[in-house]
Amino acid sequence: MDLMTHSSRFLLPDFPADNGSSQFYALVLLNQRIPRFTPLLWNHARLRVCADGGANRLYDELPQLFPDEQALAIRKRYKPDIIKGDMDSIRAEVLEFYTNLGTNTIDACHDQDTTDFHKCVAYICGLPNLENHNLCILVAGALGGRFDHEAGNTNVLCFFSTTRIILLSDDCLIQLLPSSHHHEIYIQSSVEGPHCGLIPIGIPSRSTTTTGLQWDLTDTEMRFGGLISTSNIVKGEIVTVRSDSDLLWTISIKKA
Amino acid sequence: MDLIVHSSTFLLPQPQFPADNGPSLLYALVLLNQPLPKFTPLLWNNARLRVCADGGANRLFDELPQLFPDEQALAIRKRYKPDVIKGDMDSIRAEVLEFYTDLGTKTIDASHDQDTTDLHKCVAYIRDLPNLENQNLCVLVAGALGGRFDHEVGNINVLCFFSTIRIILLSDDCLIQLLPSSHHHEIHIQSSVEGPHCGLIPIGIPSKSTTTTGLQWDLTDTEMRFGGLISTSNIVKGEIVTVRSDSDLLWTISIKKA
Repeated sequence: MDLMTHSSRFLLPDFPADNGSSQFYALVLLNQRIPRFTPLLWNHARLRVCADGGANRLYDELPQLFPDEQALAIRKRYKPDIIKGDMDSIRAEVLEFYTNLGTNTIDACHDQDTTDFHKCVAYICGLPNLENHNLCILVAGALGGRFDHEAGNTNVLCFFSTTRIILLSDDCLIQLLPSSHHHEIYIQSSVEGPHCGLIPIGIPSRSTTTTGLQWDLTDTEMRFGGLISTSNIVKGEIVTVRSDSDLLWTISIKKA
Repeated sequence: MDLIVHSSTFLLPQPQFPADNGPSLLYALVLLNQPLPKFTPLLWNNARLRVCADGGANRLFDELPQLFPDEQALAIRKRYKPDVIKGDMDSIRAEVLEFYTDLGTKTIDASHDQDTTDLHKCVAYIRDLPNLENQNLCVLVAGALGGRFDHEVGNINVLCFFSTIRIILLSDDCLIQLLPSSHHHEIHIQSSVEGPHCGLIPIGIPSKSTTTTGLQWDLTDTEMRFGGLISTSNIVKGEIVTVRSDSDLLWTISIKKA
């Protein structure tokens, strides 16, 4: 079984020395409160996409993160490359503002079978110039608000299980650990942890084994209605996970 | 298969004695350690028992006065005094614990038990109370959503663990409850306070077959699973939603802003 390594380097303020894999970050903004470190994610990203009402969040909330600067200057600086979705949430003046600046808008309102987030991930995965890059999609504004939206966003991780997608809020991140690989998670303890969890999303897990946690699992069964690993604690710098089914990994993000 | 009837009458401004909406329920309210919904006083008034899970007492102490800005904080804090504070006591502030203890709140320190969450401990405590034996219990949980995702999931897992008890997780934006597969379900929609956005989520295992009525996108013997179809961003049409499934589902519906 192949190894997959994970590291929340995108949360670090400085671009760290490349560890050998050329990671291409794309940032997707959804329509919930965006985390305070969104500018940091923006700087790491080579592609910035708003899913419909995520553009409202960008427009309204980025200036609030730079209270000493002019709102207009901030909005021009943080201009998305793409706005995509069914366009039923974005405000008319926000759409006009970014379109005038050159943002490409892709109206997908004909497709009511998938969420705006799903459409954005499919769009990014389909881009031709990403073929030789290690793609990682960072998602801001993914959590909070309606639970069915959270569940729908989590489902996008499960659907695109071979794509690295990381849901981010001020409090935590969530990513899928596909059962096809075993996993090494390098903990960036200056910005994340120690609270963490492993969640058997979708089906029970007959066997999960971990190292590096306060309450490690050893060939342990996990299922909803029984044991799931929440309020766990990271000990040390590396957490390893091996499981017979896809798990969600979640870890707390430290307040600045 | 027996029927369970659901109705969010606890969200209505006047306490309701349901005529045709189902059995008469005894509400218990549990407060957890996330922002409390703005309608918490309404839940409080409907509840016969009010329990804080550890840091939920901080939330009650800090946030209830903010809901009554024209009244004195001390008066509000005395009025909204929990019956019980239970948990491992690692979050509750010392002055909050002292304030409520002085008022007569019972505190139950369960710090020896690190295997279950504070919500789990509170639900087990409520379930085991002797005078509830003949009552139809419904546990309302405020401050259940938001913050860390592992906490949210841990709270949802309590719904799955106590699958025979009505437990409803509440935030300003939505509610979540379990629909056990052992029953078919009638959900009476209180459209003045909830909806129209809703969802059905196969938590824990895929659902081979779910059938609904009353939704914009009804399911008809439809399979649902994570990685495939799950019913989110659905819309309630009409007054009653029915659900029948081969596996436990989470029902979630949006709550209207006042």
